[in-house]
Amino acid sequence: MALLELYNVKKIYQQGKIEVPALRGIDLTVEKGEFTTVFGPSGSGKTTMLNMIGCLDKPTSGSINFNGQELEDLDKKGLAMLRRHNIGFIFQSYNLIPVLTAYENVEFAIRLVDKHSKKELRDKVMNILANVGLDGLEARRPNELSGGQKQRVAIARALVKEPKLVLADEPSANLDSKTSEEVLELMVKMNEELGTTFIFSTHDPQVMDYAHRMLEIRDGLISEDKRGKSYVSD
Amino acid sequence: MFLTKLAFKNLIRHRNRTVVTAIIIAFAIFIFILMDSMIGGMTEMSYNNIIDYEAGHLQLVNQKYWEAEEELPLENLMVVNQQVMTKTENIQGYQASSPELNFSARLNNGTNELPVIGKGIIPNRLMQVFELQDQFVVGEMFSPGEYKAVMGKRLADLLKLDKGDYITLLVKDKNETFNTIDAEIAGLLHTGNPNINNNIVYLPLDIVQQSLNVDNQVSKVIVRLENKDLALGVANQLENNLKAINDNWSVYSWDELEAVSVAGAKEMGNQMILAIILLIAAIAIINTVILAALERMKEIGMMKAMGLQRKEIIYTFVLESTGIGILGGIVGLILGAFGVWIFTIYGIDFGTIMGSNIEMASFGIPVIGKMYGVWNPESFLLVFSFGVIVSFLSSILPAYWAASKDPVEAIYHS
Ligand SMILES: Nc1ncnc2c1ncn2[C@@H]1O[C@H](COP(=O)(O)OP(=O)(O)O)[C@@H](O)[C@H]1O
Ligand SMILES: [Mg+2]
Repeated sequence: MALLELYNVKKIYQQGKIEVPALRGIDLTVEKGEFTTVFGPSGSGKTTMLNMIGCLDKPTSGSINFNGQELEDLDKKGLAMLRRHNIGFIFQSYNLIPVLTAYENVEFAIRLVDKHSKKELRDKVMNILANVGLDGLEARRPNELSGGQKQRVAIARALVKEPKLVLADEPSANLDSKTSEEVLELMVKMNEELGTTFIFSTHDPQVMDYAHRMLEIRDGLISEDKRGKSYVSD
Repeated sequence: MFLTKLAFKNLIRHRNRTVVTAIIIAFAIFIFILMDSMIGGMTEMSYNNIIDYEAGHLQLVNQKYWEAEEELPLENLMVVNQQVMTKTENIQGYQASSPELNFSARLNNGTNELPVIGKGIIPNRLMQVFELQDQFVVGEMFSPGEYKAVMGKRLADLLKLDKGDYITLLVKDKNETFNTIDAEIAGLLHTGNPNINNNIVYLPLDIVQQSLNVDNQVSKVIVRLENKDLALGVANQLENNLKAINDNWSVYSWDELEAVSVAGAKEMGNQMILAIILLIAAIAIINTVILAALERMKEIGMMKAMGLQRKEIIYTFVLESTGIGILGGIVGLILGAFGVWIFTIYGIDFGTIMGSNIEMASFGIPVIGKMYGVWNPESFLLVFSFGVIVSFLSSILPAYWAASKDPVEAIYHS
């Protein structure tokens, strides 16, 4: 069974009296373990699609099935719980909590899902931080980290709870090209090591190289769905 | 627990804002404690003024007289015999007693006239019950049987009278017949009780009884006890004892006086201040929560994306605000304690504050001169809990507003 299925998903924003169709009928199936890039110019509907998948917003019509669960059957609390346990988010602007250290930002995510004691969770947090290359920076606050380091914390935060799906909305858009490469390589590495399903969006054609699968989105419709040679089905 | 930690970190995140909000709350609490101490001191002082100069601790009186006392009638007077005195002297904590015969009169200096309250008293017994000994500005107390009078300096000034001058009191006796009492001024008083200073003329009891034609009757007997807390308990017991002699006897304790219940209006004042504090604290907290929420929109969005529920986000804000309330409360208590401490030691001189010639009496408060604060631990507890509870409650609504923000809005459009 596929991890994620979108069927004819439409989203129309209401701007005063004007209707803005952001998604105009998306059909999509994503398998477990896939590393998918959503590529499209600004305003094409990437963010909107990821928000629908991430249960942050509801489609105007159509249905989304996540892990065998119809999202429209869930209430607010159900959606929150689904996000909490199964979905990790990475945003362009990192969205770390400024009062918490790198360690605590990651710890926050795991403490929400894992009721083990602080001590027992410590290894997990330290491991993932080492894995994303933040050894020795655990005690730093976000304002003491570079953009690339912040995004690594965000990746660690998204991954630490071992979610079924990680959604990354233009995660490298704020980073210089070298850092951006490093961050993307890190995501690929985590996808390979942990088998976590990734969907990430970008408007940068260079970035697509990292994907196993590339979706091109234009004006709220998927215009192309290519599978790269590195994609291995299991 | 993590959310608690987060709330605490948020609390110290904007030290300035936290401190300012806490200071506002602290200041409100400080003012309340000071006001409470002052009102308490004022009440205490007015109680003492009433007890020390007017009412004593107990009043032995005919119940019917008590009910009509305003008019100072010459009916329903009582005779104080040996039996009554023995029973009275035997009560717990008895110190002294003084019979008095009260009457309304017009005080005349030869040209002008003022309405006054006359009191026929036995000098040495009056001085044992009331604190008049050191209050003489000029002269001294008269002796029994002398045609002499003592009155307030202020009253004397109004009629341009001085020691040695002669006065005439125009009275109506028991049979409604006009009569006069002529007396020489033996001394002038200035006490802490404006009523005594402005309205009262003391005369020897025997002379008054004769002029009013009331034989050996008196209006009441004032009793002084060792301390005022004994009064209420002893009053009942003595009343029962006296009723065995004459069923008309009643005994009233000082705190049953009307003047005392007026002083009880302090409660009202306190509630007003409490309401104002509540408002100040609430506004400060609401303002702080809204500012914090606006500034943390992205975080709130992220927390929602991470799957936090609304109530969990509300919790962090409410906890933070309660923390500010507790902080402000503690500082307020410390400041308040310090203020009250100063206040109980040094007091406030109303004369210097309000200009030398204004007496608190003009405001219906029988207080003259320096006033000291009192400790009231209950009010410390009350206002602290109030501050914390208000901080807690007033943060709920803005926190709810913040936590209800749409996550997409919060993350992308702030
Ligand atoms: N909250 C909103 N209200 C109105 N229109 C919106 C809103 N969010 C997105 N849109 C519109 O929907 C379209 C898709 O936007 P978006 O999903 O953000 O694209 P992308 O992420 O690919 O840049 C755009 O035309 C955008 O203007
Ligand atoms: Mg976008």
